Order: sequence, then C-alpha cells, then structure tokens
Amino acid sequence: MKSLLLMLLLSPLAAAASPEQDYALQCRGCHGPTGEGVPGHVPSLRGVAALLETPAGRARLLAVPGVRGASLSDARLAALLGWLAREFAAPGAHTAFVPLSAEEVARYRGTIQTLR
Amino acid sequence: MSRLDRIGERATRDLARFLSRRGFLGRLGALLAGGAALPLLPVARASAGSSSREPAPGEPPAGEPAGDPQRCEYWRHCAIDGFLCGCCGGSATACPPGTEMSPVTWIGTCRNPADGRDYLISYNDCCGKGFCGRCFCNRNEGDRPIYYPHRSNDINWCAGTSTNVYHCSTAIVLGVALEAQPEK
Repeated sequence: MKSLLLMLLLSPLAAAASPEQDYALQCRGCHGPTGEGVPGHVPSLRGVAALLETPAGRARLLAVPGVRGASLSDARLAALLGWLAREFAAPGAHTAFVPLSAEEVARYRGTIQTLR
Repeated sequence: MSRLDRIGERATRDLARFLSRRGFLGRLGALLAGGAALPLLPVARASAGSSSREPAPGEPPAGEPAGDPQRCEYWRHCAIDGFLCGCCGGSATACPPGTEMSPVTWIGTCRNPADGRDYLISYNDCCGKGFCGRCFCNRNEGDRPIYYPHRSNDINWCAGTSTNVYHCSTAIVLGVALEAQPEK
C-alpha cells in the first residue's frame, strides 16, 4: 500500500521527464525535428546507435560538447541518448546496444582522462 | 399597324402613369447597389474579424501586451533576443519576404498566462537581409552565457542558412512543455 502511494505520488514526476521533451530543449534546435542535422554545419544523429556499440564510441558520444554540457541529470541524459539513438537510427540499422546507465554517463562526463 | 401603335401607346402611357421615373430609378439603384453589396457581406465580416481585438484561441487578449505579437511583452517572446519579425513584414511565425528561415535555432519554454502552462518555443531567425531595426526585444529569460552554445541566444542562429546575415526572429510554438526548461 505504501509503495502504491509512493508510485502515485511520483507518477507526475516520471511523466515530466520525457526524452522527447529533453530532446526538444537540448538538441532539436540544431539537429532538427528528425535528427537529420544540417549538411556541412550540424551532424546527423543517424549514427548514434553505432557509436553506442563500442566503449570508445560511448566515450566519444559523451565528449560531444552539447551532450556533455546538457542541462540534464546523468539519468535523464542516459535515457535521452538511448531514445534518440533508436528514434533516429537509419531504417534497418542495428540498435541492440547496451543502454547507457546513469553511472556510466557520470563516469564519462566527470573524468577527462576517459575522453581520449 | 395603327392598331398595334395604339396598343403600344396605351401600354406605355399606363406604365408611365403607374410607375414614376424617380421611383423606378431609385428601385433600380437599390437593386444594383444591394446586389453588389450582397456577395461582399461575408468577406466584410471576415476582414472585420481579423482586424478586431479578439484573442487567438488559448492566448491572452490581444489588447494586453502579453497577447500582442508585435510587442516585446508578448508571452512567446520570453527568451528572444532580436528584432520581432511581426514588425518587419513577416509575423511571429513567418519570415518577411526575401528572407530565409534558419533551420538551426534556439528552443526554450515560455509560460502562457492565458492557461498557465509552459510551451516549447522555437526562435527561428530569418536571414538574408540586413538588420530589420524595428521592435528590438531582448528578454533573455533562461538564456545562458555563450560558452553554453546550445543555450545561448547571443549566437547568430543564421549559421544554417545560405547567408549569415541576420534580419529578425520568429517565436513558433512547437508544443506543450511538460516542464519549464532546466535553466529557469
């Protein structure tokens, strides 16, 4: 009963944190509504899923200034990156990457040495 | 022949007695003017509607600064920094003729006082002509220093167009925001 009450109390908060909304406020301005980017100016997000398949790719993604400096908690940034990787993947692309965890995001964001 | 003439003469005289010339001209004039006015009526009503001070659905009354797209106080302009396209031959959602809307833009949230909800607002710049110079507005709510490039409205967002020349800014509603932007 207590946990049910807690869930009811927390549900509006959970609804407020939507990766799609975070994308709109943190990324969409440059990368566009469908992650297509602007040729010659802003990279497309189609290849993010592929980046998430290797440790080096994951570190590289978290080193992008817009990602690293996003005004989001580690957990929300992890959810956002997983969402956009699937949402904007090229048709038929492999998207079975291991989702980023909040701890992994914190590690990459907080430790310069891992960003080579 | 003379009989025909007589019939014609009598008909004309009867008509002239029955119908005054002034009355006929008056009625004809009323018919012509009325006929011309009739198809115009719905058009006149439509244009009267657009120029009246009726608020757009879901927006504050147009008579208030927060409901007037040509005022800096317009609710959607909460984070704008530039010239309002509505004063430059365009509107709050469209670029003036001869300019190009930048595909890259600053996106923030503004609270609509009419319903108390936050909305996602995209401040797409219009580019390709020199500074508009009218209705400068610099409110900057939620703006961050330029070393947060994706959260700074001091950037020339015309970078995505064929020319970097800035003219004015629009304020387009993208949808309802579930929460205000984190910087607020």
